[in-house]
Amino acid sequence: MDTLATDEIIVERALTGDAEAFGELVRRWERRIFALTYGMLGREEDARDATQETFLAAFRNLRGFRGEAKVSSWLHRIAVNQCISRQRRTRVRSESALGEEHETSFATPHSYSPAHVAEGRQETAAVRRAINSLPVELRQVVVMKEFEELTFREIADVLDLPLSTVKSRLYTALKQLQMRLQKFESRN
Amino acid sequence: MNEMQNSPTCERAPDLIAFVYGEADEREAHDFQLHLQQCGSCRAEVASFGMVRESITAWRDEVLAGFVSTPVMAQPKTKSALAALRQFFDLSPLWLKGATAMAAVTFCVLAGLALFRTNNPQVSSNSGAVYTEQEVNQKVKEALAQQARVQPPAEIPSPNVTIESPRPKPKTSRTSSSTQFARSQRPLSKAEREQLAAELRLLSSDDDTTLNLLGDRINQ
Repeated sequence: MDTLATDEIIVERALTGDAEAFGELVRRWERRIFALTYGMLGREEDARDATQETFLAAFRNLRGFRGEAKVSSWLHRIAVNQCISRQRRTRVRSESALGEEHETSFATPHSYSPAHVAEGRQETAAVRRAINSLPVELRQVVVMKEFEELTFREIADVLDLPLSTVKSRLYTALKQLQMRLQKFESRN
Repeated sequence: MNEMQNSPTCERAPDLIAFVYGEADEREAHDFQLHLQQCGSCRAEVASFGMVRESITAWRDEVLAGFVSTPVMAQPKTKSALAALRQFFDLSPLWLKGATAMAAVTFCVLAGLALFRTNNPQVSSNSGAVYTEQEVNQKVKEALAQQARVQPPAEIPSPNVTIESPRPKPKTSRTSSSTQFARSQRPLSKAEREQLAAELRLLSSDDDTTLNLLGDRINQ
């Protein structure tokens, strides 16, 4: 498989019956889609399942891809939808778990050092919990920006939102994360 | 920190977020930097957002470090033999690497020897044909014994006598003993000298002095 071929060419090959073409597409994007689903869902098992479902859905709907958007945007949109539907199915469980974390992890703000937060497993777990506690619409943009390193325009394309909305959501998300991590730091 | 938290949010939040993520163009970035010199709230937020991003990056790196392909994506490329060998050596302990290296060296030496022998057929063909003197004698004896079983016993030649020029049999046993005395390298004992002398005297008297040809019945 030509590694220099664009995603769009690979999709065309897959549509003409090239058995390895879709596999190449998966190899290109699986890591980033996993990062997105992990950032959205916060659990490795769920993220793997969501990644798997994303590519299966993409394969099933390959003929429905019109080429109006980039293949990467199309894949990200499928992944986001997979995560949202998965979260809906497990909403009760997730909310109860997050509720416990809110009670135990976050206290009054005092001081905050992100370098210390990143040092150990406990600290990275705090980051994960803080992101998981964000509303879905805020979490999406943070994960796409920080995990996927998509541009504002790409995020807007994937989520079908105005560019200004993406910026304002990202600003709000960072503000909330800052406050929650401050609480965690002050507690420890 | 409390000051930052309680400070009023600046209206330039969209510009701030574009500046933090490096998506402001050159003119926008320069403009916002000028704004930062005057706005303490935005300066504090730029700093705190930077720290938040560091935390998220650390978590992301930890997450992605453990990423392994899921089965749905498993279309592994066929590894080349070289790649597989390289991976084997990467994962092997040191002792296994050493043992493998020794085995490889031994194999190469043996293969080289085999190749050398193949390229020198004289050595290999002669290797089975070289006999010691003892083996040659043994072979001759065996061949003669086999031949003796086929031929009559009277015609069996002695191993010490050649077939082409057989020695004439001695006339008498005394001649034989005198010849033995004459051929012997050691000095003769007294008894042997007397025996030898007697034999010589006997021969000479018989042959020369005591011949009475006139009195012979045939001549008469």
